[in-house]
Amino acid sequence: MMDQMRGQYDHQNDDQKLAALFRAYHSACPVPEPGANFMPNLWAKIESRKTFTFSFRRMANAFVTAAVALSIGLGVYMSIPHANPNSPQSYIEALAEARPLDTTDIVGPAYLDPSDR
Amino acid sequence: MLVDFELIKRAQKGDSAAFNEIVLAYRKRILGTIARLIARHEDVEDVAQEVFLRLYFSLDQLRTPEVFEPWMYRLTVNAAFDYLRKQRRRQEFRMSDLSEQQVMLADAMAGGKAEQNEQYRKKMRESVESLLGAVSEADRILLMLKEVEGLSLKELEKVYKVNENALKVRLFRARQRVLKAFGSAAKREGPDKAG
Repeated sequence: MMDQMRGQYDHQNDDQKLAALFRAYHSACPVPEPGANFMPNLWAKIESRKTFTFSFRRMANAFVTAAVALSIGLGVYMSIPHANPNSPQSYIEALAEARPLDTTDIVGPAYLDPSDR
Repeated sequence: MLVDFELIKRAQKGDSAAFNEIVLAYRKRILGTIARLIARHEDVEDVAQEVFLRLYFSLDQLRTPEVFEPWMYRLTVNAAFDYLRKQRRRQEFRMSDLSEQQVMLADAMAGGKAEQNEQYRKKMRESVESLLGAVSEADRILLMLKEVEGLSLKELEKVYKVNENALKVRLFRARQRVLKAFGSAAKREGPDKAG
C-alpha cells in the first residue's frame, strides 16, 4: 500500500517536473531573428517553383495534345478501307485470274471412254 | 490574428504585396515555433521559408480567412514533421544521453532554483530533446504544440482536424512515454545521489 502511494506520489512529482521542464524549454529556446535575405530568398524560391510548375504544366499539355492528335490520326487511318492493288476484289475475279480461259485443261479436247458405261 | 481578413483575401487573389505583409507579420512567430520544434537552429530559416512557400501555393485552398491561423500551424507542423523525418533526429537523442546533471537540472527547474544563463539554457534544451527522443516525430510535435507552444485542445483540433478525444488519448500516451523516460532517468540518478 505504501509502495503504491509512493509510486503515485513519484509519478505526480515527475509529472510536475516535466510540465516545468516544458515551460522552461519555451524560454530556453532563443527565437532566431530573420536574416536580411529572408524575404529575397523566399521570393526566389517562389519564382523558381512557379517556373518549374509552369514548365511541367506546359510539358504535360504538350504530351496530352500529342497523344490526342495521335489517337485521332490512328482512328481516321483505321476507319478508311484500304484497297490493295495486288489482291483481287472478288472470288470470281480471283478464280478467273488463277485459271485463265486459255489454259489447256479447259480448252483442250474431251475424250470419252466407252468402257465407263 | 496578426493580420486582418481583408489582407488574407487580397493575398488569396494573388496580391503579392498582401502576401508579403502576411509573411512579415508571421515570420517571427513561425521562426520561434520551428526553432522549438526542430531544435536545429541552422535550419530554422529554411524550414520557415518552406512553410511560407507552401502557404503561397495553397492559399487559394483556404476556405475562409477565419481559419488562417490553424492553417498556418498545420503548414508549420507538416514542414517541421517532414524535416524531422528527413533528419531522423531521434537517433541522435537517446534516453541514455540523459545525464545525471540534466535530471538535476529538471529538479532545479521545478524548484525554480536554476540560473538563467546560456549554459543552463543549452542544457535545458538538450534535456528536453533527449526526453522527446522517447516518442515519434509526430507525437513530439503534438506534445510540443500542447506543452511548449501552449495550444489548447480546441486549437489542436483545428490544426489536426481530428476530434478532441482522439487527441487527448494520443497526448496522454505520448506524455506517458516521456514520463516513463523521465522516471527511468531519475531512477538512474537516484542511487548515485544516495551513494
